[in-house]
Amino acid sequence: MLTFLIKDLLLFWRDRKEVVTVILLPLLLVVVLSVSMSGLFDEDQSENFDLSLGLVIEDDQDEAMEEFEASVTQSEQIPDDMKPELIRTIQEAPPVEMITEYLTSPELEHWLTVQTMSRSEVDQGIESGNLDAGLIIPENYTAQLLKSIHFDEENKTELSFIAEKTSFEVDMVHNVIQGFLEQMNLQYAISASGSEINASEIQRPEGATEMMADNSSFTISIDQYFTISMGALFVLFMASTVATRTGIEKREHTFNRIALTNTPAFHFLFGKTFATFILSWMQIVLIFIGSHAILGVFSGRSLTFWMGLIFMASIYSFAIAGLSSILTSISLRLKNPDTANGIFMAIIIFCGTIGGNFIPIYILPNWLQEIGEWTPNGLTLAVLMEWLQVEDLSILWMPALSLLSLTLIAFIVCLLLYPKRGEIS
Amino acid sequence: MIETIQLSKAFKERTVVEDVDLYLDKGESVGLLGPNGAGKSTTISMISSLLKPTSGDVKLDGKSVISDPGNIRKVLGVVPQEIALYQELTAYENLKFFGRIYRVPKGQLESRIQETLELVGLKDRQKDIIKTFSGGMKRRINIASALLHNPKILILDEPTVGIDPQSRNYILDMIRQLNESNGTTVLYTSHYMEEVEQLCNRVYIMDHGKVIASGSHSELLSILSNEDTMKVQLNQMNEDFIKAIQDIDVVRQVEETGDGIKIIAKKSANIISSLVKFADQQNIQILNFQMENPSLEDVFLHLTGRTLRD
Repeated sequence: MLTFLIKDLLLFWRDRKEVVTVILLPLLLVVVLSVSMSGLFDEDQSENFDLSLGLVIEDDQDEAMEEFEASVTQSEQIPDDMKPELIRTIQEAPPVEMITEYLTSPELEHWLTVQTMSRSEVDQGIESGNLDAGLIIPENYTAQLLKSIHFDEENKTELSFIAEKTSFEVDMVHNVIQGFLEQMNLQYAISASGSEINASEIQRPEGATEMMADNSSFTISIDQYFTISMGALFVLFMASTVATRTGIEKREHTFNRIALTNTPAFHFLFGKTFATFILSWMQIVLIFIGSHAILGVFSGRSLTFWMGLIFMASIYSFAIAGLSSILTSISLRLKNPDTANGIFMAIIIFCGTIGGNFIPIYILPNWLQEIGEWTPNGLTLAVLMEWLQVEDLSILWMPALSLLSLTLIAFIVCLLLYPKRGEIS
Repeated sequence: MIETIQLSKAFKERTVVEDVDLYLDKGESVGLLGPNGAGKSTTISMISSLLKPTSGDVKLDGKSVISDPGNIRKVLGVVPQEIALYQELTAYENLKFFGRIYRVPKGQLESRIQETLELVGLKDRQKDIIKTFSGGMKRRINIASALLHNPKILILDEPTVGIDPQSRNYILDMIRQLNESNGTTVLYTSHYMEEVEQLCNRVYIMDHGKVIASGSHSELLSILSNEDTMKVQLNQMNEDFIKAIQDIDVVRQVEETGDGIKIIAKKSANIISSLVKFADQQNIQILNFQMENPSLEDVFLHLTGRTLRD
């Protein structure tokens, strides 16, 4: 099997045009699309939306403010001359009030309706579809937030953002809240260091985002989106590239020569499968590293983030290898290599489309979106988007298991399709 | 050593090989002769276990190859009509790949590669990529790839198609050497009569999927023992003249050559006077007249009414 693997890798390497296409084209596209599309994401896309958000306020802000003022007055850490200014600043911009004011501000009111309600009402509203999402401000939020900023105490409370399902609309709401919170936190931090708060300078972040778990989540930028999307898409093409080589081997009769030896048939097949895995892995990792080197797409991200990224790239490459093995078996069954190439391209374009690599999936019907989540590229794209926002290892396991299951199914299918000696067209 | 018994192959409704019986003894060099489309390559594909026959069997030392193809693959080298090489790999890389999958032991592989490269005269070009080779050189590496595992039987399917005379002679000498010095059993298919005449002790002639004649040269030529072949060189020709010659009772066949005609007629029949008379009537001048020894080409013409390159 190693002999076949070496042969396939060598053949790929010798085809310099293919190497350039596979490595440079996706990088070029990432750069071009990121630069050209970034303007579009800056534009206000909210005009056509009418979204509803249920707001649950479990926090007693007044009590927390009184408690905080008392703490400031008694504090030995804060110089006496700064105490009145700090209390005045906090009174001018209490956190929960700032959040509610922002959510009901004229800037948002034409596309976002905010209703204050209980937790159970929010849950019911989301379940029935009357609400797009809910934001829960938990008990002790104000107290914990202020203490963490001014007295360096650990903040044990988090805002919770809940939604029935991820959608572009939900992403927008989350995106807006997330951006505001970041801005608010920044301003509190500045005030803690003695500077003045200017609560009116609230800006929306760029790009899209998914479910928010806590205040430490990240926002996805347009160049990150294209890096992940183009990476997943071009690796999908790798499955077709390797399987197409089988057609060439048939046409050039080298496959017949292999069939004349006593080599087990699956050596040929799995040589191709492992070659696809290696090439896919190298391709996607080079796209990630190349995009980062050119655009700095993953600047400031942790080692854990990179390891998660590479872990998912590896699992995805396995799934692509599985797909390639099916395409190889199909290639051996079909007489005409052009027909085989046409079928491969149709499969790739279908997977790419419903997996969200070509167009945003929210424009597709729901049933097609659900199928898309079962394509290797769709699943990988979704999980990596999530990973970009929340570095929580638990979100990787299920998609990884699903991709490995898809790979296993693909291997079984490819073996069933693989023609016996004498059956090859 | 190897034989086919009533070997047949049909693709859908079309029978391309029908009841072919071949036999090759150890160390023999046997030719399989026939025009394009005669069924030679299909027969070879079945012998080499690449294609399953519709009916019949192939036996190696009395054991069926169809039920146990592994046996023949170990001892068989096949040189396909096409250049079955990886065009983007070097000659050395191709040989190394095929040597490995033929399971040449690791310790012997390097020396086998060098020996075969030496044999085909391309040792100094081993690092070059195949697609940069001439047609003749590619053919030689195509043969080398089938020799790496030291096969006892070598099947060559038109290995000299489309190459220059120098490469052709090189390949023919190489095959002769393999047969005579190494004792390799050779089955050589071609539609070049002279190649088969040079290389093979026995010949099978195929046409329309069937073996229509077989035997040694002399046995095949004896088919024409009751006939004479005459070559007539003329200053010009016309259809009336050829038809007049064909209408002579004792004339079996008339074939146009570049500068005249070739006549196959009943042995010892006197057609010269008629020939001169018809030529005179059509104002055709006979420039030369010559009795010829029959060749396998004449045998084929006699058997099928066509030339091999039709």
